[in-house]
Amino acid sequence: MIRRSRLLAVLVFISSVFIVALPSLTHAQERTAVRQGFSFPNDGSARILVFRPDVTVGAQSTGGLFEPRADWTEQARGHIGTALDQALPTLNAQIVRIQEPIGSDAQLLRDYSALFGAVSQSIINYQFFVGNRLETKKRDNRENVFEWTLGEGVRTLPGADQADYALFITTEDHYGSTGRKLLQIFAAAAVGVGVTSGLHAGYAGLVDLQTGNLVWINADFAMGGDVREADGAVRRVSQLLEDFPGTLPISGERGGAAQ
Amino acid sequence: MNVARRRALTAFLALGSALTFLPDSAAAVANRDREKPEFVVPPYVGAYQPQGTDEQGQWLQADEAERTIRDLPVVIQDEELNAYVRSVLCRAVGNDRCGSARIYILRLPVFNATMSANGTMHVYSGLLLRVRNEGELASILAHEFAHFELRHSLTRFRARRSASDALAWASVLVGFSQNSGLRYGTSFQDLLYAVHGSLAAYNRNQEREADLLSFAYTTQSQFRPSASADVWRAVMNESDASAVARGQRTNRYGGVPFLASHPSDLERADTLSLMANRIPSAGDYDGREQYRTAMARWIPEFLSDQIKLNDFGGTEFIIARLASDGWTADLHYARAELYRTRGNPRDLISAIGFYREALALNPQMHAAKRGLGLSLIRSGSVAEGRIALQAFLEAQPDALDAAMLRTLIQP
Repeated sequence: MIRRSRLLAVLVFISSVFIVALPSLTHAQERTAVRQGFSFPNDGSARILVFRPDVTVGAQSTGGLFEPRADWTEQARGHIGTALDQALPTLNAQIVRIQEPIGSDAQLLRDYSALFGAVSQSIINYQFFVGNRLETKKRDNRENVFEWTLGEGVRTLPGADQADYALFITTEDHYGSTGRKLLQIFAAAAVGVGVTSGLHAGYAGLVDLQTGNLVWINADFAMGGDVREADGAVRRVSQLLEDFPGTLPISGERGGAAQ
Repeated sequence: MNVARRRALTAFLALGSALTFLPDSAAAVANRDREKPEFVVPPYVGAYQPQGTDEQGQWLQADEAERTIRDLPVVIQDEELNAYVRSVLCRAVGNDRCGSARIYILRLPVFNATMSANGTMHVYSGLLLRVRNEGELASILAHEFAHFELRHSLTRFRARRSASDALAWASVLVGFSQNSGLRYGTSFQDLLYAVHGSLAAYNRNQEREADLLSFAYTTQSQFRPSASADVWRAVMNESDASAVARGQRTNRYGGVPFLASHPSDLERADTLSLMANRIPSAGDYDGREQYRTAMARWIPEFLSDQIKLNDFGGTEFIIARLASDGWTADLHYARAELYRTRGNPRDLISAIGFYREALALNPQMHAAKRGLGLSLIRSGSVAEGRIALQAFLEAQPDALDAAMLRTLIQP
């Protein structure tokens, strides 16, 4: 940047004061919702378009800073891709994949991925978890209403003409560094303050490509499975697709407590 | 009170602040600069690949961000404009270096340019609007490229990490000491200020280093070196003009705010001027005409973005600065739009005059007829205004607001 940004500096200053002071959050960390009245076709005729998963992997420094790790991210992308290839056939649907689009199609896909991200974050912040929930969304929760949409424009997405639904997947992992873990232990033992170490969050969502409605979403802020390893990635993917409305009853490794 | 423990903790806190201060204290920078001659361009190896986990991580993040920005509508995809801005960068830093950078021109009416770890350069349209020649543009592009060559994203990330690590331990230790009946709250506050102050100072020193290296490039590129100081003087003048028009206090440039990430505009203008005088074998290439020609199509569009910012004084300053090379129809038109947008009765009278000057220089500028007609009607000259609107509608019957304008010309 060529200009000074005083406001930003002050914000960073204020936020860093709370790096350690916050006790660990203890609210519910996993939730799934299905749109009211939605039923997944159970004859296996549904076609699901699967986009490139958004995978972020890195370490968490002693002070809580995210340190992106290229090697881990590459491993995780590979393992999650393989795990998805294994898991998707268990969904009662045909899987559609498309070439990575270019030009205006790429722009459109980028827009809708960003919109999906923004809507999912709104669901997570304002409807799912205790903290910032809106009164209207609390009422929706009581009345079992789940009503969010990306709009009918999704029909123009690349590949939308070959599929009925689109599946978006996002995972973010910050593995606590040795320094962070030592700090956590010391803070707990000597001071009695809780310091969180590591962040393992992810969410998956299914969008109806005719209406743009979000018909299913699963968000989890304490996911299990080490995505840097093949076994862990399988577990992670199975947790992401947990409670998917069209899952065939299969026997396989499922769930498990978050680390 | 346990004196030994208290001493140990004090020593730790002192060590923490000393460590965060050390890497780039003013003295260290001065020493380093004294050892090497000024304005030397280091050897350059193309196709640099990131080294080590930290740098690879920074590049990964930058690569992902670049994938996103590449397809955003805010990026100006015009090939001619992109090729032109790239040619200025290549002339500024040399053909071997400029191959490492990818330029994305963002349509944002803000004076800024940024550089990412992996060589992604963002150039804001507000920058292209504010510089008047290739020399001024080159000084900013070269400065950003210097950040890349000096790997500043990486070192800045490491400095932030060390600082937050030290603070994390210090805060836990202070909590520990309080449990033991000791009070170190004040010491912790001091440490907090020291660490954040030194981080800001570290950022400012990076900016100075980038300015120095960008001047070294100038010895080879033969751009007029004093152009860079011109940019920062204009930035201060614009900021003053903007503040005065709003009835606000103007910025003070004398000191540096404690948490400022960049040196003050005045410090930069003065330092760059001094360096420009010291530079050996300086060139005098400015590229003024070339810049005017290349930007002719874009300046009206960028001005139209700028007018929407509701910054009367700043915009008036920018237009006047551009007009120092002579008033054009586009500049008269932009000034008229600026006045009509503010819309005081006296502004409309001024706007009418400016629209007429634009039309005198370019009778085919139909948009000016629209503005002229609207301003005239609003100022009470209804008949004359309708004639102007009629002329506009005959030239552009499919204009977006044609239907609304037709209701105005019906008797």
